[in-house]
Formats: sequence, C-alpha cells, structure tokens
Amino acid sequence: MKLSNWFKGISLPRPPAAAPPVGLPAPEKVYLPLRQHRGAVAEPKVEPGQRVALGQVVGASEEFESAAVQATVSGVVEAIVDTVDPAGEKVPTVVIQNDGADAWADELAGAAILEDPAAVKATRPSHLLRRLREAGLVRAQVQGRPLHVDLSPPMAPQSYLYMTGIPVVRPIDTLIIRAVDVDPPVCPNQSCMGEASQDLAVGVAALARISGAKRVILALPSGVDAAGIAAIAAQYEWEVASVSQRAYPFASDNLLVQSLTGREVHTPYGEPRDVGVLLEPLISALDVGRVLSSGRPVIDRVFSVAGEVKNPQTFRVRLGTPISQVLDAAGGGPSRPGKIIVGGPMMGLAIFDPATPVTRETVGVFVQSAASVVAYADHPCIHCGRCVAVCPVNLIPSDLGKLCEFRMYEDAAEMNLMNCIECGCCAYVCPARRPMVHFLRHGKSEVLAGRME
Amino acid sequence: MNQNLLTVSTSPHILGRTTVRSMYLEYMIALAPALLMGLYYFGAPALITVLLAVASAAVSDFIVSFITKKPSTLSNLHIICLGLVLGQILPPGAPWWLPVVGGALTVFLGIGIFGGIGYYPMNPVLVAWVALAISWPEAMNSFLDPLPLGTEGDWAEAETPLMQLKGDIGTLQAFELGVLWLGKVPGAIGATSSWALLAGGVYLIIRRIIPWQIPIGALLGAVGMALLAAYTDPAIEELGLEGFAAHMDVAWFHLGTGGLLIAAFFVGPEPVSSPVTPWGTLLFGVGIGLMAIIVRTWGGLVDGAFYGVLLMNAATPLLDRIRPRVIGKVVNGA
Repeated sequence: MKLSNWFKGISLPRPPAAAPPVGLPAPEKVYLPLRQHRGAVAEPKVEPGQRVALGQVVGASEEFESAAVQATVSGVVEAIVDTVDPAGEKVPTVVIQNDGADAWADELAGAAILEDPAAVKATRPSHLLRRLREAGLVRAQVQGRPLHVDLSPPMAPQSYLYMTGIPVVRPIDTLIIRAVDVDPPVCPNQSCMGEASQDLAVGVAALARISGAKRVILALPSGVDAAGIAAIAAQYEWEVASVSQRAYPFASDNLLVQSLTGREVHTPYGEPRDVGVLLEPLISALDVGRVLSSGRPVIDRVFSVAGEVKNPQTFRVRLGTPISQVLDAAGGGPSRPGKIIVGGPMMGLAIFDPATPVTRETVGVFVQSAASVVAYADHPCIHCGRCVAVCPVNLIPSDLGKLCEFRMYEDAAEMNLMNCIECGCCAYVCPARRPMVHFLRHGKSEVLAGRME
Repeated sequence: MNQNLLTVSTSPHILGRTTVRSMYLEYMIALAPALLMGLYYFGAPALITVLLAVASAAVSDFIVSFITKKPSTLSNLHIICLGLVLGQILPPGAPWWLPVVGGALTVFLGIGIFGGIGYYPMNPVLVAWVALAISWPEAMNSFLDPLPLGTEGDWAEAETPLMQLKGDIGTLQAFELGVLWLGKVPGAIGATSSWALLAGGVYLIIRRIIPWQIPIGALLGAVGMALLAAYTDPAIEELGLEGFAAHMDVAWFHLGTGGLLIAAFFVGPEPVSSPVTPWGTLLFGVGIGLMAIIVRTWGGLVDGAFYGVLLMNAATPLLDRIRPRVIGKVVNGA
C-alpha cells in the first residue's frame, strides 16, 4: 500500500475467515426479475401456465445492454408480477412454481464444452463472447453490467476522452481478478477461493482471450490462507498481489486498479477499461468458467449473509430465491429487524422488502437489528477535517456537504463533487454524524438534473 | 401496524464511534496532565481561576441558549472544554472577575454572536484572551512564582521567562532547560509544563483528534525562526553563541516557554477555526510558529503564539483553498 494512502480510508475490523459456500435446496417458488443488471429490461418469453425446464430462457432482449434470464428451477410459470430491485425500481418478474424435477432443457444438450484453458485459447473470442451473452452472465455487483458488455471493446473512445483531448482507445492488456471483497464482512469472493479449480482457469483464460489481456493479476486478500488458489495462479503464471481487506475502500475497482497497475481511472465517467485494464470479481470469473465447461447457464449465485444473524455464512442459492428464505437458512434474523442491506455495510443498499429475490447483481446481505441502526444528526459541520484526512480521492467532503446542504449544487460541482466515489468514509468518521453520503448523492443528482435542462 | 418494518436509508450503514462529545472529552483528557501540573505548581489560586472560567462559560452558554431559544449544547462538552482551555492560559493569581469576564466573552463574543459551534471564524478562547489582555494588561501580566504543593511560603509575584527576555536578551541562557521544560517557572496555569503539553498533544495526534500537520508545522516554524533569529539578530550574537548546538538551545528555550506548545497542540488545532486541507493545516502551523518567535524576538508584545493563532485563523478560508489534487479528475490536455 502506498505511503500516501496510509492515513486515508478507514480500517474496518478483519472479517472472520470465510467458509466455502453451503448449498441450499431449491425453493418452492423462484422470482426471476427480467432485469438483473444495469441496462434494459428483458422481454418475457414465457406465459403464465407454461411449463419450463431448468435453464430455459424466460426473458431475453434484443438490446445490447441486456442479459438473458433463464429458469433456475423446472416447473410451471405461475405469473408475471412486479417486484422491486435493490435500487428501488419496479421490475417485471417471472414467478415459477418448482416441480422438484430439476430437468435441464433439451436445447442445452448440444452446447460445446470447453474443459481446459488450452481449448479456450483455440476458440474464437467472438464465439466465447456469444456463449457468455447467451448465458446471460452479469458482473456480480449491484448495478453490474452484463458481462458481454464489460468485455466488448467500445466502438469509439468515450466522449469524455474527446473532451479532454486524449481520443485513444487503449487496448486491454491487463486482467485483474479480484478475490478481495470491497465491503467486508460480506465476503462472497473470499469464500469462493477454496472452490477455485479448473473452472477458474477456464474462466480466466476466456476473459483474457476475449479481452486480449496478456497479463493476469490475481488480487488475494492478505492474511488469508490462499494456498490452493495461489497454486493455480502459479500453474498458469498469473501474478499474485496481496491486498488488505481491512483498508477500506482500497479494494474498490478504480482504487484497486490504481494500486496494482499505477494507472489512474478517470471519474466519474471513466472505467478501468479506458486505461487498458479489465477487472472482474472472482465469482464472475468462476461463473464464466462454469458456463464454458458445463455448457449450461449458471442457475445459482454465491450469496453471503453477514451481520446480526445466528450463523453468518455464505450460501450457494438458486437465483430467484427470496432473501428472507436465505436469512432463515442462516438461522434467522434478529427479533426486531432494522435493516437488510444488499451489498455491505459501507456501500450497500437497504431494502424494504425481505422477499426481494436473489439476483445476478446481488452478492450478499448485511443484517442489522433495530437497535443497531445508526442515526444521523442534524448538526452543523464542525470543520474538524477528519473527512478530508480519510477521503481516498482527496476531496474536501466537509465543504461539499455544506454546499449540497444549502443547495449550491453547481458550486459543489466546481469543487469536484462529481468525482466522489460514495465510499462513505467521510460519513463514517464524522463526529457530528452528518449524513455526508446522502448530501453528496443528492447534490450529484441535482447537478445531473440541472445539466439535463 | 407492522412492527417489523425495515429501515431504508443511504449508505454507510455503520458509523465510527467518534462523536463531538467524545472528541472534546479526549481533548480534556489530553489537557489534564498540563492542568494537573499547573495546579501542582500554583495551588489554590490556579484552581479557583480555572473553575471560575469553566463555570462562567457554562452559565453564559445557558444564557445564550435562552436568548436564542435553542436547546443547550452543554452536553457535548464543547463549551466546557473551551472554558478549560481559557482557564489554562490565564495567569494563576488573576483577580476573580478576570476568568468570569473571560468565560463570558468566550461564549458571547467568540461563539454566540456567530451562531454556535461550527460557525465562528476565530478561536473563541483567544478572542476572549485578547480582549482581556487589551483591557486589563496589568491583571493579565501579574504572574506568580511556582510554589509546589506541600511547600510552605507565600505567593510572590514574578516575571515569566519571556517577560524577562524582553528586558534582557541574556535570559535565553539564564534558565536550565530541564527546569523550563518541567514548568517550574512563572507562567500561565496550564502552559508552563512543556512535557505535559507535549504528552497530551501526542495523545491527540495518535487518536487522530487533531491533524498532525498543525503542531508539527508550528514546531518546525518556531525552531526554524528561532535558529534564523539566533544566527542573524545582532542582540543574540552578542551572547557569543558558538555552533549549532548552542543556537539550538535558543530554539529549545523558545519551545519550552510561553504559550507556544499549548498554541501548537491545543489552541491552534481547535477544529472549527483551523483549516482542513493537508497543506493548509501545515502552513497554518508554520504561521503560528513563525509569529510566536518573530513577536518574541523583535515585537513589542511578550508572546506572539496566541496572536499567531488568531492571525492564521483569519487566513483559514484562504488556506482551505490549497486543495490536494483529486484522484481521477480529468485534467485538460493531460
């Protein structure tokens, strides 16, 4: 870690060593939202009353930024209803009644199977990309993009690059597989490390083949036994980097890219791809491997349950399982629940409906009881400067918070409000308990709304 | 109504343990060693002065909250802490009305008229201190000879090392540095025991209550300016100092006397009136150090540390404009 980052960010308690995911039986009913990513909503391809097999496509779209949705149980489509996704938007959702047969769809039988990295390297990238698109893979994070969008080279440099006079598309030369979790104690990536095997090799080979990356960096959490995955890395000559999982938020995408490759990702419009880096979480790489080596779409999701439940652990659950059922499997939540947070405690989204289904963009929940829900205060900023000291991107959150509070949004934008990464460190350290992230998010949305006019 | 409704709010969903109250509590913990040393050396007169300053600040806060019809903020210890700091920088044998007026000025003139915590531009304690120093110079400049607890004797008026320095430049060499740093010299109640102030200040830095740049900057500025003065001032040259070590002793003398350390560690880094940016805080500290030594060596006043803090307080909005480069910001033409 760079010396200049020593005082920045916050140090969270070390999360407990994550056990490998425990399989959960398929639920009675699955709820499959037709959008499980950033992008367009898929069209339903089934009707209520229709029988569907495992892996059969129930929703698909012609839009580029969309992912196909497959049935994750076999059974009968009960209805198409609206549910609310973690971000709070209504999404049409296919409800399937499970018949318990788990019969795979016939059309999947003929799919080509790529069982080792050598076979992947012999396959055309466009073919691999089509396979991923058909499988409807999504980068495993809230508002994650479909994987094929992440992997497709942009048609032209992004407009922000033109505006700054650097109109270059930098070819991707580095692939970073992130086994560190940004927001502990929700640790799905870490708990998958033990499972990494041939699937990981296939997945990484495919990602590298499609993107053209020559160099693969595996970012492992420090202080965790990772002998198994390190052996795989040694076998395929990947670089291994050790990243502290306590130093929040330095495992988040842009900052991780910067610390591992020295390349600075531009905010707010830039992405690692602009500087020639492709960064994928370990679970996404594993999913790619499983799709290619089994010829079937991925129907389950590694899902961590942390916080105030009886047995915090990581599960492997069918996509579409209501989160409440996963919580029950973890021993049940607190008697007076306070918050259920999709993601982690620092950056997650609190949901209001425990029946929200597990989707491709959710990786875990953090549960709080009513007693431990924190209260922000309506206290003036005392100008202590602690937020400035911790801000990982060198903003002056105290001033931005004040400007946004008093509706001087454009002034805040001039002080680089839009470069905020919403990590929440400023709010975490604020002695006055000001809702910093709330102010800054509100300010950002007002700035964007103002510029649209 | 369903009792099991979930709460929805923006992230982060966990917060650190620091509150305004805990911050000022730690301030007071860090102030304690210097205060106890002051009470040890100056006994009952010091205790009465400090208590009166705190009590006056607290009562004034009640009056302010009554006039402004706002709930009293006494429980966050902010006012108590400022009262304590004020008490520490007053002379021990001050007449009873001096700390009372000082505490009232701190709250009314320093805080109240600006709208409370978070809004005042200048350090309220120093606003009160300067008002007192201008209005009653005799009372503010009558110090006592230390009389450690348990020793027999009567309180005797004495001049502080810095006051002697004004009359005689040879004072620079008249004191044993050990005695000076121990604090067994005439001076303000909580400002003489340099080692105790240093210990408390280091505690504050380790606990990240104050930014490290302000005290470090102040010490660097003071040492640098003291060395410069030692090398260039003809009056000091007449003492016949030879070599760097002898010149450094001048700097040690300045660090150990007067209000420099309490200004560097406690008064200067007062959160509301000090800057927040990394380079801004460092320059703020350096300015305090420079002012202290410039006034002591060439100025008409006895000590410049507190005036340095006030001057730099005025520069705070300017210093806050020295912002670090934002990571990820697209620079035109880069």
